[in-house]
Amino acid sequence: MTARPPALFSRRASIGFLAVCAVLAVLPVALDLSAYVHNQLTFLFITIAGALAWNWMGGFVGQVSFGHAAMFGLGAFVAGRLMLSFHLPPPLCWLGGAVVAGVLALGAHPLLRLRGPYFSIATIGVGEAARVVFTYWEKFTGGSSGLSLPIDGDLKYQLYWWALVLAAAVAAASVAIRRSSLGLKLLAIKADVDAAADVGISATFYQDLIFVLSGAVVALSGGLYASFLSFIEPADMFGFDRSISFVLTAVIGGVGTALGPVLGAVVFVIVKTYLLASHPDLHLGLYGLLLIGVILFEPLGLTGLFRRVMRGIRRAPGTAGQVKS
Amino acid sequence: MDRLLDMALSAVLLAGLYATMAYGLGLIYGVLRVVNLAHGGVIMGGAYLGWYLHDRLGIDPYLSIPIVLVASFIVGVVMYQGLVRRLPRGPSGGPASLLLLFGVWLVLRNIAYLVFTGDDRTIRTAYSSSSVEIASSHVSVNRLVVLGLAVVIAVTLHLLLRRTQTGRAIRAVAQNADSCTLVGIDVNRIYTLTFGIGSALAGVAGVLLATLFSFSPNSGSSELLKSFVVVVLGGLGSVFGVAVAALIVATAEVFAILVLPAYLTTAVGFILLVLVLVLRPGGLFGTRVLS
Amino acid sequence: MGMRLLPSVFSLAMLWAVGGCKPKAAQTADRSEILIGSTLPLTGSEARIGGFFKEGYELAFDEIAKQGGLDVGGKKLPVKLMLNDDTSNQATAVNLADKLINSDKVDFLLGTYSTALVEAQSTVAEQNKVPYVNGGGAASEIYKRGYKYIFGALSPVELLGTTLMDWIDEQQKAGALPRPAKIALLWENTAHGKDFRKGISDFAAKNAGGYEIVVDESFELNGKDFSALLGKVKAAGVDLFLADAHLPDYITLHRQYVDARLCHKVVSYGARGSEKSAIEALGIENVSYVLSGVWWSAQLADTLPLAKKFVEAFKAKYAGRTPEWFQALGYEAARALFTAITQAGSLDREAVRAKLAVLKMESLLPGGTLEFPADKGGEVQNLFVVQQNLPDGKAPIIFPKSVAKAVGVAPNPRCAQ
Repeated sequence: MTARPPALFSRRASIGFLAVCAVLAVLPVALDLSAYVHNQLTFLFITIAGALAWNWMGGFVGQVSFGHAAMFGLGAFVAGRLMLSFHLPPPLCWLGGAVVAGVLALGAHPLLRLRGPYFSIATIGVGEAARVVFTYWEKFTGGSSGLSLPIDGDLKYQLYWWALVLAAAVAAASVAIRRSSLGLKLLAIKADVDAAADVGISATFYQDLIFVLSGAVVALSGGLYASFLSFIEPADMFGFDRSISFVLTAVIGGVGTALGPVLGAVVFVIVKTYLLASHPDLHLGLYGLLLIGVILFEPLGLTGLFRRVMRGIRRAPGTAGQVKS
Repeated sequence: MDRLLDMALSAVLLAGLYATMAYGLGLIYGVLRVVNLAHGGVIMGGAYLGWYLHDRLGIDPYLSIPIVLVASFIVGVVMYQGLVRRLPRGPSGGPASLLLLFGVWLVLRNIAYLVFTGDDRTIRTAYSSSSVEIASSHVSVNRLVVLGLAVVIAVTLHLLLRRTQTGRAIRAVAQNADSCTLVGIDVNRIYTLTFGIGSALAGVAGVLLATLFSFSPNSGSSELLKSFVVVVLGGLGSVFGVAVAALIVATAEVFAILVLPAYLTTAVGFILLVLVLVLRPGGLFGTRVLS
Repeated sequence: MGMRLLPSVFSLAMLWAVGGCKPKAAQTADRSEILIGSTLPLTGSEARIGGFFKEGYELAFDEIAKQGGLDVGGKKLPVKLMLNDDTSNQATAVNLADKLINSDKVDFLLGTYSTALVEAQSTVAEQNKVPYVNGGGAASEIYKRGYKYIFGALSPVELLGTTLMDWIDEQQKAGALPRPAKIALLWENTAHGKDFRKGISDFAAKNAGGYEIVVDESFELNGKDFSALLGKVKAAGVDLFLADAHLPDYITLHRQYVDARLCHKVVSYGARGSEKSAIEALGIENVSYVLSGVWWSAQLADTLPLAKKFVEAFKAKYAGRTPEWFQALGYEAARALFTAITQAGSLDREAVRAKLAVLKMESLLPGGTLEFPADKGGEVQNLFVVQQNLPDGKAPIIFPKSVAKAVGVAPNPRCAQ
């Protein structure tokens, strides 16, 4: 008797998810949010999308990339260039950035043969090389002067919903990938590439696929970010610090979990926004301590912590130890 | 011809610098298989310590090397015992060690900011601007010292690993840690020692760099990346491999100016890194055990 | 599945609760004080200079406080500075500007320091139509975007190159330098460096036959090894060595320059040269006769009355220290804003903006006047002053003649050794 595979999304979860999205969609109008909070939330959604996409590579496949800024910056500058030189509507420009990044991610194919730390080191090399090359390539990126995009107040306001749609789509995709057979294959690759190959899972194909998807989505978030700031320059967009922020958000939130990075992004943005005002000289150390804490004590980051807490609550007298994970 | 000679000399001096920076990283990776992302932070720490000793206590930077050596050794031991030891060993621990040590680096950076502020510092001594003439080129005394030390460290490390009991134990552990426990080698002690030595070397590199360049709490990333390039190129485990790799990288960078604009020569190292990883991940000298 | 969403929902709810509510806007009719927002890099890589700008701002605000407030349409209103730390980070500068305007409801903005941050932050000011006066962004790019609300008190770096070349040209005409003179142009790959390069190359292009740029190379910030680059310069046999670098690179590059026993008839590092930390790091004998161009120098106190007043006030407030251009520019930017507010007679942003656009006030800047010409996008075009380091440790102004304290020396006497 053949069993039906479990549905990707349970009905309850889908409704819950859509409800959250609906609430977020009407939030600005319903609460009459100040422009500042409105923009901070936009920034948050963009960060969430990027962190989730990074996690596909870093968490699902287990290949930790320290060079994702290359994709991010590429998406931003392609989008910016398209806007400045061809005056295309922004969504088209963002997509353009995503496509270019996706195609170039295929070029990184040789890197995908590398395992573990070797891969990570290679991504550092690629990220830094990209930064130097793109800073030099003035015609494309404006060099160290960067690109100034035309100011569009309406766009910045609407960016909230664009970013929300992106973040929601990426979140749904994350869950879908994780729970689907694709996710299982990725887990197999992460655990033991050779064994996975033995059972017929082509590591190269799937890693390529995820790398392209991850790169394209991160580039998309870069495009939105360009529209958000209206000014982008290579040192900032392609910088090592930028690559690190992807790693931090995903790891602190819960690398490898489907939605952990969302939490990580929220913490990251909150720390940046609120801590920065009062203790700006401590944020580096704080991220460092969080990272150390996560690695040593709770590898699944805040998500893991949260689950532990929930499990503790559920073990309260009366519950028959039924642990959902 | 004169210019080429000049460039060759520059390449050798630069190689000395790169080798000095890379030894510590190479040793730790060779033995523990841990990528020490805090390497840059320890270099920066060594620079600050050397600067502090010179600025406040008037100690000549070269004379302060023993102090920095010991201090960095202790820092390394603490880092290992307190943090790295708790990590799972092996391939699954890979990303974890990267991230953990990166976190340590961030914390070190922040401490430096709080203690020393973000201003650029450098060490200047009476002989900072002295240079000697070598074959119609003028070479800075400081850079010669760095080159000399690079050679001394290489030889010392080599002797340590080949001729001493501890060195043999280190090489054994690098080869197969589990078997070592069977023959009674305290693997944990060896790891601690290695991490300490690696950090000590990084600290010394820091002092030397401080005599040559300006540094700030942000320093360390370019040194770290350069060290990566050298270690990966040199392949796991060979001390002389690191030295030769440093020479290759330095030569590539210096002579690149003949074909590339100066600005792009900074990308040469990274491109070399990626090429080596893709084409010959074992490095140019193969995946040999420490020798 | 709901389990997974729970953390996300929970955290978003938290965020909403903490930050969601819109603060009530103060009634504009009866305002009790003027709020001026600003961010500066008080920590991070530019913290030292950020601190200097803060000193300049605070001095300006103190002076207004001593007067009992700023005269706005007959009433004296106190002025309050809301200063945040942007940690030398662009996104932070942008977010904080957004917060200052939309959350803290400031009336006007004073700019931050460093070109990239000003360029990013000014977009927020323009979008929200808030007048933004800054003394920290020099790249002319910032002012070529057609923005109406951005005003820069810092002259474009191209003019630094031009002023330097003006003096060099004088020397050449007097026969002290060869004609044609070969130039090695090394510039850091930043907007600052690019502008410097433009100033020099534009001048050379206009001056047919006088100058030949034989080496034109950019370098990465925080470089370690300049030997290859310096080797190229040596091989080219140039007369004039013109570089643009910020402090750490100046020290590294010049150290290696001295090590290589290089010497050229004219040596300049753009805006660098006479910094105390550089002299300490390099040794006075090695930086002698190096030229630098700065936006302002305390030596101007001898020729400009406002400069004198500023220097005295600064020394009184800051324990006898002599101010540099950072503090002067911060001070002047704030003063320009205050003057425009008083002239407008109201806190209406449009009115103040209009006054800033046609402002013409006596100033401590070289030239003695400050205005924001519209055809230059609102960036002042005051000349620089060129200083030359002397072996006795002083660095007198040598150009322009009207404010010069000493005659510049060329060719470099050290090369004769």
